Amino acid sequence: MSNEKPMNPLEMLAYVLALQIRDHQVVYVGTGLPMVAAILAKKTHAPNITMVYESGGQNPIEGDMPWSVGDPFTWRKSPVIQEMAYSFAQAYNGYVDIGFLGFAQVDMYGNINTHLIGDDFLRPKTRLTGSGGNNDLSSLTENMVLVGLQTPDKFPAKVDFITSVGHLRGGNSRREAGLLGKGPVAVVTNAGVYDFEPVTKRMRVQSLQPGVSFELAQLCTGFELLKPEGEIPLTPTPPADVLKILRAQVDPQGVFTSIPGL
Amino acid sequence: MSRFSYNPEAVRNLKIEDTSILDRLVDFESVRRDHLKKDHSRRDKRIGLKEAIAEFVQDGDIFTDTGFAYVRTPHQAYFEMMRQGKKNLQFIGSPNTNQSYMINFGVCGYSHNSYIGAEMRGSDRNYSRQLKAGKVRILSEWSHGAMAQGFKAAQLGSPGVFSKQLLGSDIIRYNPYVKVMQNPMRDDPDPVAFIPALYPDVAVIHVHACDKSGNARIYGPAVNDIAIAAAARKLIITAEEIVPEIDIRYNSKGVVIPFMYVDAVVELPFGAVPGNMPGCYYWSRQWWEKAMRFATQTDDNMKEFMEQWVFGSSDPFDFVEKLGGARWVAKSRRLTKTAEYDNEDEGYDFSYQPYTLKKDTDIYY
Repeated sequence: MSNEKPMNPLEMLAYVLALQIRDHQVVYVGTGLPMVAAILAKKTHAPNITMVYESGGQNPIEGDMPWSVGDPFTWRKSPVIQEMAYSFAQAYNGYVDIGFLGFAQVDMYGNINTHLIGDDFLRPKTRLTGSGGNNDLSSLTENMVLVGLQTPDKFPAKVDFITSVGHLRGGNSRREAGLLGKGPVAVVTNAGVYDFEPVTKRMRVQSLQPGVSFELAQLCTGFELLKPEGEIPLTPTPPADVLKILRAQVDPQGVFTSIPGL
Repeated sequence: MSRFSYNPEAVRNLKIEDTSILDRLVDFESVRRDHLKKDHSRRDKRIGLKEAIAEFVQDGDIFTDTGFAYVRTPHQAYFEMMRQGKKNLQFIGSPNTNQSYMINFGVCGYSHNSYIGAEMRGSDRNYSRQLKAGKVRILSEWSHGAMAQGFKAAQLGSPGVFSKQLLGSDIIRYNPYVKVMQNPMRDDPDPVAFIPALYPDVAVIHVHACDKSGNARIYGPAVNDIAIAAAARKLIITAEEIVPEIDIRYNSKGVVIPFMYVDAVVELPFGAVPGNMPGCYYWSRQWWEKAMRFATQTDDNMKEFMEQWVFGSSDPFDFVEKLGGARWVAKSRRLTKTAEYDNEDEGYDFSYQPYTLKKDTDIYY
């Protein structure tokens, strides 16, 4: 272990995200860390999962890390490649167990913004990618897990644009808006793992990364975090053998899990 | 005056003064008329790329981004549109990545947005800058899936579909076409989003093989292209190769676009360069990284980049020469076939030197 580079926050994220996956699930995978996490899960505790990508690929045989969600590695000898409309329809029809999404901003109800920073849609401070499949998966998938870095800007009281509805305004508002599934069940960041309090549907600390206190997590958040009852557990860190698999077999080029200078 | 009833909140939010600009995308009657007027004969439709773009892509048309951003996307046809100086097209597509660089040259003036960018290769600062400068106007905002349903509704031959996507989001407040309604099958409250069938003016679809009348075969992800082919008023097929009709009949593995949709057939090897063409060539990863990390940084960078690659090339062969010629062709075919597991992959290495601002190797594998 002494010669090994210490774990970096992105590797930690990939590991914690992978832990959300159970074996035999159908997993809808977005670009970036979600791909790393799903492939890591497949190579460790969940070898029998089925990955689904919005470009149409699903259930590829094992290969390299895809460069994009449209990479041939996402449909490497796939038994079937779906058209985009049918791919999302699998989530509507109840064939997708869990989905992973990134965000530029997320609020206390798990509503996601990937559209813009600023208050003017027509002349934003920064225009971002827009929805892609983010809204579709958030609207349809039974269990959503959100992943991203945590700062007060990225965790504002109110997102600048609701690209994807999480728990909307809390309570039953997601269901009343007509959406399917449980909505976001977890948010995984470099500071901690969060769930949503069952009645208010507000974001609540589930566990914190080693070295992160509740106060520090709160400082990185633009809204009031809920505290769980009792002592806050530590988020598990990747054991050496899992870290080794991540580095050697999942993302050997560090495309998604390396941090320059670390 | 518009003939259609648009979501008034979205029209207001998008500051669209004259909504007639929105009409053609949902004007089914005119599409049906246009499709009926087409010559339906199973004739030889082969022409050159320059002629096809000149004849079938008109200024102001609603133009569709096909494939998946940089997978089987007809980039070489897009580059020809830039060289011919097409103006003020409305761009639609999910994804809609390729609209961005078209804005700088006046080709794209309007946007039906779903996604801009190249995933993890860096954010598209160019689109953001052009939007703020007023060089592009957003006419409607979408998710990938909702737009896919709009194209699919057209292919199904239906005025639209009810969807569970977009509900409750701000996207709906910036989309004049989508309406939230009560599900007519239910007595209890059940909101649904009505997505109208979407009919672009023109699409170019790049395929693996096609016969001279336009029966066109795709290998790998079709994404939205079968639906788009059915919906578009005008359709150009660019193909890696032209095959006899009998070959399409006997090798119908994969999906096929029927000839009747097709207006022009263009034989265009390397038509999807610098993107990935399944079975044929992998994408030029460094090229896309340079596009995102260098070209999108300033207007001058974009101009310099496109002068080199687009305006300084006259066809795909020029482009391939700049990428590395026959060596690039062999390496890039090996990469995609290995990724698809159609070549021995044992020990094969997908690592490469990514483009960074500090390190431009001038190699674009």
